[in-house]
Amino acid sequence: MHEMSLVRSLLRQVSELLLEHNGDAVKTIHVEMGPLAGVERVLVELAFEQLIEDSLCRGAQLVIDEVPLSAICLECDVEFDIKLFRFVCRDCESQRIRVTGGDEFRLIDVDIEVTSGCEVRT
Amino acid sequence: MTTVTVPVQRDIKAELRRQADEMRRAFTERGTLVVNILSSPGAGKTSLLEATARYWRGKHRMAVLVGDLATDRDAQRLAPHCPVEQLTTGGACHLEIPLVKQGLTKLGSQDFDFLFIENVGNLVCPASHDLAEHVRVVLLSVTEGDDKPGKYPKMFRTSQALVISKTDLLEHVPFSVDAAVQDARKIQPELNVFPVCSLTEDGIEAWCTFLETERNALQSPHSRVDDKKVVTNDG
Repeated sequence: MHEMSLVRSLLRQVSELLLEHNGDAVKTIHVEMGPLAGVERVLVELAFEQLIEDSLCRGAQLVIDEVPLSAICLECDVEFDIKLFRFVCRDCESQRIRVTGGDEFRLIDVDIEVTSGCEVRT
Repeated sequence: MTTVTVPVQRDIKAELRRQADEMRRAFTERGTLVVNILSSPGAGKTSLLEATARYWRGKHRMAVLVGDLATDRDAQRLAPHCPVEQLTTGGACHLEIPLVKQGLTKLGSQDFDFLFIENVGNLVCPASHDLAEHVRVVLLSVTEGDDKPGKYPKMFRTSQALVISKTDLLEHVPFSVDAAVQDARKIQPELNVFPVCSLTEDGIEAWCTFLETERNALQSPHSRVDDKKVVTNDG
């Protein structure tokens, strides 16, 4: 169960963004995870609930996008989704494939509330 | 009050991964092969390292960082063989870069040919954490069952070698080496497989030769480490 430490790291990164942009509050934290991210959605949500109150992100909403495990075949170049962890090309059955998505727990973007008139760097 | 969307698009572990890459480069320059050893508890990680140290006595300099939730039992077992530091994680189910850095500081500044990181016994979480290793090895003991690789896809997908341990027990348990290897290679076709019995040292020579070859590849211009990244992209 390492979701706790990952969510702690996520909140630290978002808090840094909040300070960096002179924001007043974080509204939404948008993350993405796939089948090979090594995290469990329910446990991430639970860790978020437990940790958010003591962070600068208090009041923020967590939005989780679940993406499929995707790959590209290095033999025939076809892009496809890997089903049931079957790491072979959908078309030519080659095992020479590269995973292109669904193997990470990613921070996509963050919605930050700022006082109007304040200059924002993005 | 207005809302601004700040685009980020990065792995939440990006900073740890950057640190791992930096450490890996430093180890490569010093000629130290770093090996991360993972398995469920009791699969024989420490026994494998004891047998490896016995085999290499006087030939290679090796050191071990060993992770556990509590006690220094594994470090005590390894201490007669090589420099070793116990990393006690408290409650954490896996090792992370900061703990590895602490252990390295305690080991001191001497150079080693091989640095083994014996991870906390767990087939799940350690798979998600890059510890600056060049080679990731997963151990599967024959008493665990030959159907395990498919159940832990991330662990097997991100490993370069599979050690099948406790092969002296094969005659007593319904475990098919072929079935386990087939299952594992469906997930990672490039897995190098080493059936080993650490107690009798059966298979230790092939395992050690593999590591020596990997270490030699560190010095070649086309490092295997870079190849690994291209092929799996999920370590």
